[in-house]
Amino acid sequence: MMFPKSKQLMTALVAGAALALAGCGGGGSQAAAPLDLTKEPAYSGKLSILTKFGGDPLEPYFKDLAAEYQKMHPDVSFELIQETDQSIKDKTKTLTASQALPDIFFTWAGNWANNFIDGGLAADLTPAIAPGTEWGAKFGESALKAFEKDGKYFAVPLYNNGKFMGYNQRIFKELGITPPKTFEELISSCSVLKSAGYEPIAFGNKDGWPALHYLQQLFAYEVPTDVLNADFHPATAELNDAGYLKAMKQFSTLVNECTGSGKDSNGVLYTTAQQALAEGKAGMYYQEILEFDTTASKDSSLKKDGLGIFRLPAAAGAKGDTEAIEASPEGYIINAKSKNAALAADFMKFATSTQNAAKLSAPPYGQPSSVKGAVSEQNSTAPVVEGIKQVNEASDAIVWLDSVTVPTVADAWLAGGEALTAGGQSPEQVLASVRSASDAAK
Amino acid sequence: MTVSNTAWKPAAPPSTVAVPGRPSDQPTRRARSQRWRNLVWVAPAVLLLSIFAYVPLVQNLGFSTLKWDIYSGRQTFVGLDNYSKMFNDPIFWKSLLNNTLYAGISIVFQVFGALILAAMIEGLRSARWRGILRAVYFVPSAISLTVAGLLFYFIYEPRMGILNAALDFLGLHDFTQAWLGQENTAIFGIIAMSQWQGFGYCTLLFAVALQRIPTELYEAASIDGVGPFRRFFAISLPLVREMTSLMLIVTVSGAFQVFNEVMVMTSGGPNNSSQVLGTWLYRSGFVRNDFGYAAAIATAVFVITMVLAALQLWISKRRRVEW
Repeated sequence: MMFPKSKQLMTALVAGAALALAGCGGGGSQAAAPLDLTKEPAYSGKLSILTKFGGDPLEPYFKDLAAEYQKMHPDVSFELIQETDQSIKDKTKTLTASQALPDIFFTWAGNWANNFIDGGLAADLTPAIAPGTEWGAKFGESALKAFEKDGKYFAVPLYNNGKFMGYNQRIFKELGITPPKTFEELISSCSVLKSAGYEPIAFGNKDGWPALHYLQQLFAYEVPTDVLNADFHPATAELNDAGYLKAMKQFSTLVNECTGSGKDSNGVLYTTAQQALAEGKAGMYYQEILEFDTTASKDSSLKKDGLGIFRLPAAAGAKGDTEAIEASPEGYIINAKSKNAALAADFMKFATSTQNAAKLSAPPYGQPSSVKGAVSEQNSTAPVVEGIKQVNEASDAIVWLDSVTVPTVADAWLAGGEALTAGGQSPEQVLASVRSASDAAK
Repeated sequence: MTVSNTAWKPAAPPSTVAVPGRPSDQPTRRARSQRWRNLVWVAPAVLLLSIFAYVPLVQNLGFSTLKWDIYSGRQTFVGLDNYSKMFNDPIFWKSLLNNTLYAGISIVFQVFGALILAAMIEGLRSARWRGILRAVYFVPSAISLTVAGLLFYFIYEPRMGILNAALDFLGLHDFTQAWLGQENTAIFGIIAMSQWQGFGYCTLLFAVALQRIPTELYEAASIDGVGPFRRFFAISLPLVREMTSLMLIVTVSGAFQVFNEVMVMTSGGPNNSSQVLGTWLYRSGFVRNDFGYAAAIATAVFVITMVLAALQLWISKRRRVEW
């Protein structure tokens, strides 16, 4: 097809202007060179840190750490940017796009961390933190491996996490319910709780991700592990295993049979659901280890009733890995472009000292440190100790669905989870839309 | 009162045409100096506007032709691919439809509804009640959209919200639902909040416009036996035409720029049912890492609002009312 000369000229001009305006042809994707962390840093300068510890009860943790570090090194000052679980995603991307990432910043494992590694924004900490090094020996190997790529280590795993069904021990005892061993038993227990006037499982999906947490655990049970892992990457994804449909049907059953808000759950905040368990109005609430000490805080009725935990049970005949658990450590990356990288590494060593790790694992923070021995019956609550024990015993740790795959596919799953919750789409329709997003991302 | 069919034109500037042999008619040095001084006065505003409005606008056009990886900083020129993707994106069209719905409902309530209410308030005999009612209707506009969004989130909350509680109380349990959690009601829940928030502001502006109409016109009409409806349509409505045009521009442009309330109340969910162009732009960039596509959506928003504003200005200038 021929275009008039004036059109061709106009197209060339627009393209040229666009390239010039956007400063096209920027940097390339490459991992950062290893930092020399063997030298002692100059203990001066300002360290900027982006944490996920915004709000109560976590906010004081990094503030206290910074104050203590400053006592030892008075010439070091801090700029703390503390965000919440919801707001940190946008904050991190804004800082990344404007090339203003702080010296140390929070990361999830999976695709989220890999973006920073591939973009050359994560300092290679291998010489300092790899298994076998003095610092690396303090951590469980699986925690370190969560941030490993091509044999290199790129983040400091600060704490472990995992997803469990938390339940009110008093209510279960009163109604003669024992923690269910199968998905079918879980559904049966819901009717007992409902007849007794309790909300069986508190569920709030306003933010979309609570549904994804259920789905990811059920996928791990119903889809063979190698298929599941291949499907996380658009290049190898096929997303046609029947286990996905089975898992989504189980999720719909759970929403309809067990949750108090049912199809209305998209209008409920997850904190409202958390509160329902804390106040003794609900029998169960699916939650992360990080939430245990908040849900069963010292003033809650759940603290008196007792918080018990069990893993979301798999359905009979599940074809995936029924011993796998949705769990993943969360860590902190040192900015590869930071002028204070050595100081940042020193601060993170301080943050993961035995004393600070124990403090992090104890109430009110309740964030089970990745440092070996930090979580113990002496300084952590029983559910946290039990949760970490079960995570360590699991056959596999499956990373959250919204951070294990590329954002467009994760977003399609998120929309699909909301549609399943409200009953607006069938599992087949949801899978088709996710497959379409994955194909587009190839 | 006259109704002119042409656009208003400013008075012609004094002639500066040079006449041979009459040097005094040429712009004097003082006049030239005055002209430069005027330019110097407006230069800072032009400069700031250029830096903060026009340069980013042109830059955005550039970004919309790129695939941009924010992590590596790599930018690849993709021509008009992002625009082609936009035309084939069902969520973009859903968002546009939601914005159009927003604009349509806002025109009904915030422009015509507010005008009728303003006329009713200004028609009251008691000045005290006029003042009280203007204040009562204006109060919601003093609340920030984010706060109002959060407030309404709790009003709509399916289990603890007062809306469902009120419906229950009235025996209308069948109507209770998760207003923001269902695909077919979420966007209407947000639009309703927005009408509540913006209605009073528009009413106040219309009240001011109505106060400017000479009372003699109403008095003369009353003497001639004209009733209140006829007075509204024959006097009030034509004489607030400019304010109506302005409100139309502001309301429609605002409807295509809506963001805060949607983010606070639903973030565009469930299942993207309440996405509007602003939130889909944001989600494309900051959640889906597709900043080039987000820039293309931003360009579409700019073009839509520019065209609508130009169209409305043109229509409103064609029939100008003077008295």
